[in-house]
Amino acid sequence: MNRVVVTLVGKDRTGIIAAVCNYFAENDINILDIKQTTVQEYINMMMIVDLEKCRKPFSEIVSGLDVVGEKVGCIIKAQHEEIFDVMHRV
Amino acid sequence: MVELNEVFETHTMINSENLDVRTITMGISLLDCCDSDLDILCDKIYKKITESARDLVKVGDEIGLDFGIPIINKRVSVTPIAIIGSSACKTSDDFVRIAKTMDDAASKVGVNFIGGYSALVQKGMTAADQMLIKSIPQALAETECVCSSVSLASTKTGIDMDAVKLMGTVIKETAEATKHRDSIGCAKLVVFCNPADDNPFMAGAFHGVTETDRVINVGVSGPGVVKRAISKVKGENFEVLCETIKKTAFKVTRVGQLVAKEASERLNVPFGIVDLSLAPTPAVGDSIADIIQEMGMEYVGAPGTTAALAILNDQVKKGGVMASSYVGGLSGAFIPVSEDRSMAYAAEIGALTIEKLEAMTCVCSVGLDMVPVPGDTPAETISGIIADEMAIGMINQKTTAVRIIPVVGKKAGETVEFGGLLGNSPIMPVNRYGCKDFIDRGGRIPAPIHSFKN
Repeated sequence: MNRVVVTLVGKDRTGIIAAVCNYFAENDINILDIKQTTVQEYINMMMIVDLEKCRKPFSEIVSGLDVVGEKVGCIIKAQHEEIFDVMHRV
Repeated sequence: MVELNEVFETHTMINSENLDVRTITMGISLLDCCDSDLDILCDKIYKKITESARDLVKVGDEIGLDFGIPIINKRVSVTPIAIIGSSACKTSDDFVRIAKTMDDAASKVGVNFIGGYSALVQKGMTAADQMLIKSIPQALAETECVCSSVSLASTKTGIDMDAVKLMGTVIKETAEATKHRDSIGCAKLVVFCNPADDNPFMAGAFHGVTETDRVINVGVSGPGVVKRAISKVKGENFEVLCETIKKTAFKVTRVGQLVAKEASERLNVPFGIVDLSLAPTPAVGDSIADIIQEMGMEYVGAPGTTAALAILNDQVKKGGVMASSYVGGLSGAFIPVSEDRSMAYAAEIGALTIEKLEAMTCVCSVGLDMVPVPGDTPAETISGIIADEMAIGMINQKTTAVRIIPVVGKKAGETVEFGGLLGNSPIMPVNRYGCKDFIDRGGRIPAPIHSFKN
């Protein structure tokens, strides 16, 4: 497993999650978990995905998500899961 | 499984509160480069540094991308050059050649600073030590990335007052040699009492002789994160305040530990230590002074400041020690004047004086840091300021340091602009009464007694 946390923040509209999920499908990235909250018209989403089968280097995925984010008007970030584990778990 | 709120808390720390890893510093031993021929020595030094640190910058950037955390600086520290050059260097100019070799190696591997142009003279100076110290003004004027440090005192040996006197002059000469750039050479020169062998922060980083061949040391940062956390417990008692700082320091340090372990693994270089120091930058919200002010001081320097800094320093250590398997370096809070916007402002309005800074150095890591003073401050007065700071370190068994900049051609109240991470600051006034007869005595101040503590 190569677990990565993907977060998305922006103004909600139709097709945001579809765009992100399509990008993952195209790159053999498996989605393990999705959590989402919407406050007024803003969306906060977090996905945990597995990059085990993805053949692209991580830097390419990060810039690919930037492009997807720009299309749907959101900020999308990807980070390896360990940083959250170490900060919030003893 | 990570929770949504934890992920967004981490994001806020990184994006709004300037959480970052300040530096990954690779310590490299140059002991195996020693040679009596200067050409061969310089060749060996260049090869050892460029081969050891070849991938440092690339790996640092990769780790930053993988975890989404900025890693601001990648740096190198080496064995004190006064030792390495002792059999090859016959003059101060010979030492300058080594400084230039270090500078070339640093730019080849892409690091922004290289530390270790240093001498450890806390008990006495060899001929090589003296030559290196006298070469510092020229070495710092003719190189870009080289940082220099000189250890003048320790709790075990006392204070080498001959070296303290010499450093007063060297600091003045360094200021003069770089006067066209607001005496910036002095920003790359620090003197120490009880220096740390594994300090990853510049200008004082060097690779101690008891260290292994190569080692990765990491310095974390995050004054903005601590300030924000404290702002949420406004008006609460000291127990709540201390717990808040401790918990925040834990989280910040865990990031440093993660980065250090990753860097060590990817570079195949042993992990040394994480330095817990809260290091400010001139960026808005990245300030130690802001933390002190958030704790309840109108401005940093007001009565109560030393107590507030003591709390901060101690709680950062308590939280940080549990977050990392090896803690070392300076590990506390830095209080550089020009590198901290709010500190510089407090100096400008007269809330913060050199005397108050000196008191603050009794309870935090390091000492008088990035303090610009008038260019006409006599060398003996600078030596006197150094001696005071060395005495604080010696008696209190802690690291203290002086990085003072007598800015040529400027008077108290004028502004100096160093640029970048070094920031800007008003020139701070210095006590105008002299100490020449004291400094001129020469010799050593004996080591203090360690018993009968009351």
